[in-house]
Amino acid sequence: MPKTAFQRVFPYLLVLPTFVFVALFTLYPVTRTVTDSLYKPARRAADPSVFVFLENYADLFDSTHYLGARFVQILGNTFAFTLATVVFSVPLAFLFALLLNRQLRGTGFLRFAIFYPALLPLIGAASIWAFFYSDTIGLFNTILRGFGLTGVNWLGDPNVVLYAIVLLNIWKQSSYCMIFYLAGLQNIPRDIYEAAQLDGAGWFYQLRYMTVPLLRRTTLFVVLITVTYSFQTVEQLQVLNQGNPADRGNLLLYFIFQSIGERRNWGYVNAMTVVLVLLLLAFTLTNFLLFERRDDDKA
Amino acid sequence: MLQRSLRMLCLLLVASLLAVTPFVQAQAQVVVDFYYPTAVDGPITQTIQEYATKFEAMHPNIKINPVYTGSYTQTRDTIRTELAAQDVIVDVAVMLATDLTSFVEEETIVPAQQFIDRMENGEAFVANFFEAFLANCRDEEGTIWSVPFQRSTPILYYNADLFRAEGVEVPRNVNELIEVAQKLHTPERAGLLMPVAGGFPIWLYQSFAAGFGQPLIEADPAKVYFNSDASLAAVEFLTKLGMPTSEGGFGVGPMGGSVWGDTPTAFTSGQAAMIYHTTGSLTNILRNATFEVGVAFLPSGLPNENGEGYAAPTGGGNLYIFAATEPEVQEAAWLWVEFLASDEVQSDWGARTGYVAATRGAWEIDPLKTLVEEKPQYLVARNQLAHAYKEFDSYRSIDVQLIINNALSSIISGNVPLSQAKATLDAAQAQIDSLLAEYR
Repeated sequence: MPKTAFQRVFPYLLVLPTFVFVALFTLYPVTRTVTDSLYKPARRAADPSVFVFLENYADLFDSTHYLGARFVQILGNTFAFTLATVVFSVPLAFLFALLLNRQLRGTGFLRFAIFYPALLPLIGAASIWAFFYSDTIGLFNTILRGFGLTGVNWLGDPNVVLYAIVLLNIWKQSSYCMIFYLAGLQNIPRDIYEAAQLDGAGWFYQLRYMTVPLLRRTTLFVVLITVTYSFQTVEQLQVLNQGNPADRGNLLLYFIFQSIGERRNWGYVNAMTVVLVLLLLAFTLTNFLLFERRDDDKA
Repeated sequence: MLQRSLRMLCLLLVASLLAVTPFVQAQAQVVVDFYYPTAVDGPITQTIQEYATKFEAMHPNIKINPVYTGSYTQTRDTIRTELAAQDVIVDVAVMLATDLTSFVEEETIVPAQQFIDRMENGEAFVANFFEAFLANCRDEEGTIWSVPFQRSTPILYYNADLFRAEGVEVPRNVNELIEVAQKLHTPERAGLLMPVAGGFPIWLYQSFAAGFGQPLIEADPAKVYFNSDASLAAVEFLTKLGMPTSEGGFGVGPMGGSVWGDTPTAFTSGQAAMIYHTTGSLTNILRNATFEVGVAFLPSGLPNENGEGYAAPTGGGNLYIFAATEPEVQEAAWLWVEFLASDEVQSDWGARTGYVAATRGAWEIDPLKTLVEEKPQYLVARNQLAHAYKEFDSYRSIDVQLIINNALSSIISGNVPLSQAKATLDAAQAQIDSLLAEYR
């Protein structure tokens, strides 16, 4: 039976409200960001911006330019920060989940203790860590000095600051990722382990050849969100060090935020945003192509 | 029965509406949207609301709508966003004194001068402000664009009990400062904490550059002196404070300086003999210290006692009126600005917050007058204003400050060795010059 006009239009009508919101709050800003990244704002606010094509991008990678001199270093920091977070927090999250998945006495308390960092708002958590790291009155240095050691200038020493920020991120992120692993573990049917035990598979064998492969999709997801979150780190920098000292503790999105204050930087701000989005997009696509495809092949 | 009471109710409703209407019309109020940030502790929003209520009682046809907008940066970014969208809500705002040049050049604010010129006592109104604060209100031609509201300046805080016990005098110049700091420095107690580790070492650095003979900026907002000899000496001095004596430093505090927010706490808990900090912390420090707190001028840069080489920047926020506002609202906004800058409000605001009251008259009346009699420490900051410099403000001020802060931070933190300090300053100066070239 041929569809009536209404029947043909109806699905689009259903999608329309969502589409309007996506267009308004996602598509339009994205387009504006890309086009604005090709302009330089004029000296007077009322004058039209000047079209410069890719000059803003070229400046960002020019080490004599006032923003370019900082951009490449900060981009490097962001990669190091993200890599360290993933390398440490994902395995930690997995171990925590294994620990909590066992039916032991006190598991409830342990679960709360390990999940606690994920529940804390990041700004609050960072404020607590700001106290840990404080040079004069901080917890860490008070303990170190108690043992007769010299304190470490956690947030002031250019060679230490990035580690200090990564540590906080690992603490927070491993707790958050643990929840996904725990959910994943509890979804694996008990009977396949029982079957494996009957076949004489040991604990490590079960872990290596059953648990890890079965949680592959969880791992993919967890790595994806950890990379995305780490790339977009802002809050803790605002509380802890504002990117100091000397940009050794600065990250990309925070740098973008720092540069917004000056109207005439808006071309650069948009260009940096495009770089950030492209990097994340490239990462997500690679992941998708590498892992999702393989699943399809098998199926 | 029910119908009757309903009818009655309707009648009452109509009657009350009729009664209210002429009242509303007679009010025909001008609404002034006032944005303000805060950088000190205390019930600031409550205080501002109190001022607004008091002002509205004096001017029944004006309604002040105070909007708390977070930090200075957030306030400026909010306003910039409104300007960019050409949908300006703000009529008058407190912004950093150093935002002046950017906003003048963008033509987004109106000069306070146009209102002052029409005042009967305009000259007296201007003369009532401390000159040091007005320095950041004027452009190159001397036109006043903004009015001082919540202003501050850094001062030297010292532990007076400790000084007495150890028999040391308050340092008057940087040589004495190091001498005293080294004498009072122990593993548990820093001799001197210099809060230059945080986001804006530029503020305190300015006092040293000026004290050593060359301010970072003079009257021309297109010319910055960042790689001068005085500037290099200032950076070296700040770096050496935290360097151990074995490496040629003074060894009187942590390497890289202390963190802004931690410094008063370290001082009041006895972990520092002296600190540099803003007058804005005075109220808090006096409240928390268990010892007698001494307050003094920032020691002079040159080793003499004649008041030469004393140099302190000013800081804090001014009142700005926006160009996009309708003329009659601008007039109302100006009345509000005049009210906030009055001796009465300045005296009250200074006593409540620790900001340095910006008018001379404010110090002659209560509550500030009584407070100063009880706690003479408050007077030191005011007297230091005689030696205060214009706070750094240039074209492209935000970017230039970021360049300077970054260069300072890399040297002071030890990321770049002192031997490369000059080269770092030169590179930063080149970046600044390239930014400012179009303004010369």
